[in-house]
Amino acid sequence: MEAIKNALDFSDFPRLDLSLAGAVFAFLLLFPALPHSSFAMATMIQFLMFSLYGMGWNTIGGYAGQVDLGKAQYNGIGAYTTAVMMVRWDVPFWVSMPVGMALAVGWSFLIGYPLFRLKGHYFSIATIATSLVLKDLFEVWDFVGAATGLQIPIRSKLPDFLYLQFRHDYYYYYILLALFVVGILYLNAFRHSRLGFQLRAIKDNEDVAKSLGIDAHWCKIKAYAVATAFVAVVGSFHACYNFNIEPEDVMSLDLSVLIAMMALLGGAGSLWGPIIGAAILVPLKSYMGDWLGAASGLEGLNLIIYGGIIMLIAAVQPRGVWGMVEAVRARRRGGYAAS
Amino acid sequence: METLFAELAKSLVSGLIMGMVFALVALGLTVIFGVMDVVNFAHGEFLMIGMYTTLLTSPILKVDPLVTLPLAGLVGAALGVMCYYGLVRFLLRGPMVAQLLGTFGLMLTLRNLALLFLGSEPQIVHEGLLVGKSYVFGPGIVLESTKLAAALLSIVSFAVVWWLIRRTKLGMALTATSLDAEGARYMGISTERMNATAWAIGGASVSIAGGLLVNFWPVDPNVGLLFTMIAFATVALGGFGSIRGAFYAGVIIGLIVYFPPAWDALSNFGGLDWPSIHSFKYTFVYLIYFLIMVFRPQGLFGWKQ
Repeated sequence: MEAIKNALDFSDFPRLDLSLAGAVFAFLLLFPALPHSSFAMATMIQFLMFSLYGMGWNTIGGYAGQVDLGKAQYNGIGAYTTAVMMVRWDVPFWVSMPVGMALAVGWSFLIGYPLFRLKGHYFSIATIATSLVLKDLFEVWDFVGAATGLQIPIRSKLPDFLYLQFRHDYYYYYILLALFVVGILYLNAFRHSRLGFQLRAIKDNEDVAKSLGIDAHWCKIKAYAVATAFVAVVGSFHACYNFNIEPEDVMSLDLSVLIAMMALLGGAGSLWGPIIGAAILVPLKSYMGDWLGAASGLEGLNLIIYGGIIMLIAAVQPRGVWGMVEAVRARRRGGYAAS
Repeated sequence: METLFAELAKSLVSGLIMGMVFALVALGLTVIFGVMDVVNFAHGEFLMIGMYTTLLTSPILKVDPLVTLPLAGLVGAALGVMCYYGLVRFLLRGPMVAQLLGTFGLMLTLRNLALLFLGSEPQIVHEGLLVGKSYVFGPGIVLESTKLAAALLSIVSFAVVWWLIRRTKLGMALTATSLDAEGARYMGISTERMNATAWAIGGASVSIAGGLLVNFWPVDPNVGLLFTMIAFATVALGGFGSIRGAFYAGVIIGLIVYFPPAWDALSNFGGLDWPSIHSFKYTFVYLIYFLIMVFRPQGLFGWKQ
């Protein structure tokens, strides 16, 4: 009950934020009804997916301040669980998704326990290493299709809500939008929860948090599991949306870094940050790839610009867009910017 | 039986040789980390640029690829200094996240600049004094002279950097900065300049390693990530910031990566059908990194925790 009350309690945000968020939500709800190209639709689906990834990452990377660069492995576990169960045993999405989530969370406990003995860069690079090990294993594992990956067979009758196969993208869009809303509500509850406060205490000063009786190691593992669950669910969805998955696609290092980057660009450790970050980076990447991709003869230029933007953000405002907003607001109030 | 021994000896030799090169690759990373606690994700891209420098300049200047090594070193050093003053200096003001992301952005940019201007085709040095020649040591052990030269020159470069850091005034200033930057500043050492020096040394040594590698390893814009990870594993094994550690760890990693061919020989031995683990050779590198970080975070020779 407490959690549900917290999930619906947005009263600590200024009215301006809430009306903006309401307008954005109305737009998201109505988007499929507006005239749009299929490319715009695909970009919007990507945006929602990366918002969810970012929200998940935000729990461990933002609230707990542990920069995790290995999220792709959980995306892979989710995607592969769904794909394998569909291809081999004909199991519906709504069954395989929780199974994938459970497997991913189980794996996150296994590697999270030793990983969280590390701090700072050591932790970040170790998460990359685990992710690469898992990817290498999947690339030679015949059961999951090795390097060529898996192809989900198309069902005879469409639309199929059990197996998440549709002819039109807007079905996928609305399912993802529903997950998106659930994600926001969950994170809003998380923000107010005991774990949320404990994590922020750990982020500010781990030694002080420990001296107050917080089991920092266990808190981080729990937050890591939450983040993993988000990513695994989107992974399962990705398998159904793309039909075809392969290790290079769902478990690459680029994906892990992209997830972290979206959240950081928007502002890690805030509710809206990952969404803002995804809203900026996903369309930018997708349209730049379209204009400056292989077809234009300038292969690589889009990623050069992209890399430049990342460097600029990291050098100028590592606290992201939301950090800037908060700094401006704090200055108006005449106080100091809260972290 | 004879082939088994030959295979083992071959793995041992190629492992040792590649280990020397890996050590030189990791050297730059460990120097930069030791002096200023920054992890450089673009390290492999510096290597790639060194490889391209040698590949492209030796036909233009009409000299042997090995002669262009100092040039590769200069390019790497210049790039390192540019990166420090243009980017890393600003990243240091922010939290740790900023360094990770900033150097990752640098990696993306360098890699795709190479893609844009040099194309995605893998290329390799075709002409050179040593290319294509090899020595035969005993039954079955054939040693390409390019690899032998790479190993020897790696040791030389390593020794030069070691001498620079351990035996010169500049090196003492670098060590002082890494031990206590604030204290070094009070002693009149310009830590800013020391940081830039660390980047210059790091860039130069890894670019030279690239120039050596390109004689037998094809270069393409994406070659960097594998070497970045190998360098991370090497540095972790040897201890972050430890130069001696980087050397021994490089050799150990080289032996591990090049041992699986011996496994293949073993798998045929005695008619048993062992599963081939050859394709996992780089997975072992990542695994080592993970295990070392968890069970011995200071590495074998590290002094920084």
